[in-house]
Amino acid sequence: MDDRQRFNEAVLPHVDDALSLARWLTGNAVDAEDVVQEACVRAFGAIATVRDTSARAWLLAIVRNTAFTWIAKNRPKAVVTAGDEALFEQVELEMVETQPSPEAVLIEKTDAEHLHLAIAALPQTYREILVLREIEGLRYQEISKELSIPIGTVMSRLARARHLLIQRIGMAGQGKAGAA
Amino acid sequence: MNKPPSWSSHEESLLLLNAYLDNELDAASALNMERRLANDPALRAEHDRLAQLRKALRSQLTTARASDDFRKRISAIAEESPSDNYSSVVVPLPVRTRPMNDWRRIAAAATVAAIVTAGGMYVFLRSNSEAIDIAAIVADHQRALLAAAPFDVASSDRHTVKPWFDSKLALSPQVVDLANDGFPLAGGRVEVLEGKPVPVLVYRRRAHVISVVAVPHTGIEATTEPSLVTTKDGYSVIQWHGRDFNYTVVSDLAENELNEFVKRWREAAVER
Repeated sequence: MDDRQRFNEAVLPHVDDALSLARWLTGNAVDAEDVVQEACVRAFGAIATVRDTSARAWLLAIVRNTAFTWIAKNRPKAVVTAGDEALFEQVELEMVETQPSPEAVLIEKTDAEHLHLAIAALPQTYREILVLREIEGLRYQEISKELSIPIGTVMSRLARARHLLIQRIGMAGQGKAGAA
Repeated sequence: MNKPPSWSSHEESLLLLNAYLDNELDAASALNMERRLANDPALRAEHDRLAQLRKALRSQLTTARASDDFRKRISAIAEESPSDNYSSVVVPLPVRTRPMNDWRRIAAAATVAAIVTAGGMYVFLRSNSEAIDIAAIVADHQRALLAAAPFDVASSDRHTVKPWFDSKLALSPQVVDLANDGFPLAGGRVEVLEGKPVPVLVYRRRAHVISVVAVPHTGIEATTEPSLVTTKDGYSVIQWHGRDFNYTVVSDLAENELNEFVKRWREAAVER
């Protein structure tokens, strides 16, 4: 199989997924296209290293790396520092209240716009893991490999990401209800 | 299994709860979680919240669709660039090194400690057993292709296939008719997975064979969550949770066509 054929089989079927991930990482559709195009050039360069079993996760990893390089170059202020990351890890999972929560109802009624805003407002570290799991549908093992972090970290970040998101949606929903 | 004392902590319950919802726990831990959910209203409330969040995410967030123009630009990459020029390009690993303040180092050390603690949780994750499942399912699909016919009962009529499973296994998976969508039913066979017989539906697409393995999973409601796509030995494998069964589809069909099949199958199964 030549490189071109390999590229067509390993990369092209996943362009939509790559674009989704890039959109979430860069925050807009135009930048996402730039990132994915650059990532695909890199992917083609490294096409010999891809294994059939993991083409999708492999491409997404390249997209992610390209996105960070791209963000560092084009929006230096937006770069998340390692220190921030360590700080995020400290966010405690708060105790759940025992009473049945009105949040559940709010979450269900949340519209797409609020959900987008809430996800966009998440710290980068949490946003990317949430997107990889919920939107790209990767398994813990794949996320662990792609982000080069232990599975335990995947679990704790994901739990925190969801926790923060629920809080934010809950708050937005309450704000809305108050205004109405 | 003996749990370390710290396992009773709430945070770890939440991590396990998340893993449970992500279907990443092994069977025993999942059962254990179900028992705890039944007895712990606080955990139950958190479960409901997370389930609602998932529902909202799945129903509200759409994936991006590449425009035809963009798709053309991407496929052009392979045509324009002579690959020799790029053969030495190395994809950098995601390593980020940045300066840290002292107190942040301490925070980072605390994080590392937390990660080490969480490491004990691997044993509860199902990833390995699932990998074996996929390998076993793909191997069975391959065996079936080598046999004279990839099915034990040949029928394009779901009213024949369904009762056949019922009489043979006392199991009745959903059998949907997708002949109009170009995926005619070919028949059914029985496969043995982890020592238990499970029904397999066989569909055809042109010369390709599609195996739909239905592993009984009582008490689970059909979900609308997206199917999980993987590949194994060149076969596309798609999994999802349906009513009372976990489904795994294996075929040598192109992934997009197999996705189409799964989409139609799930839609048809829901209407029933």
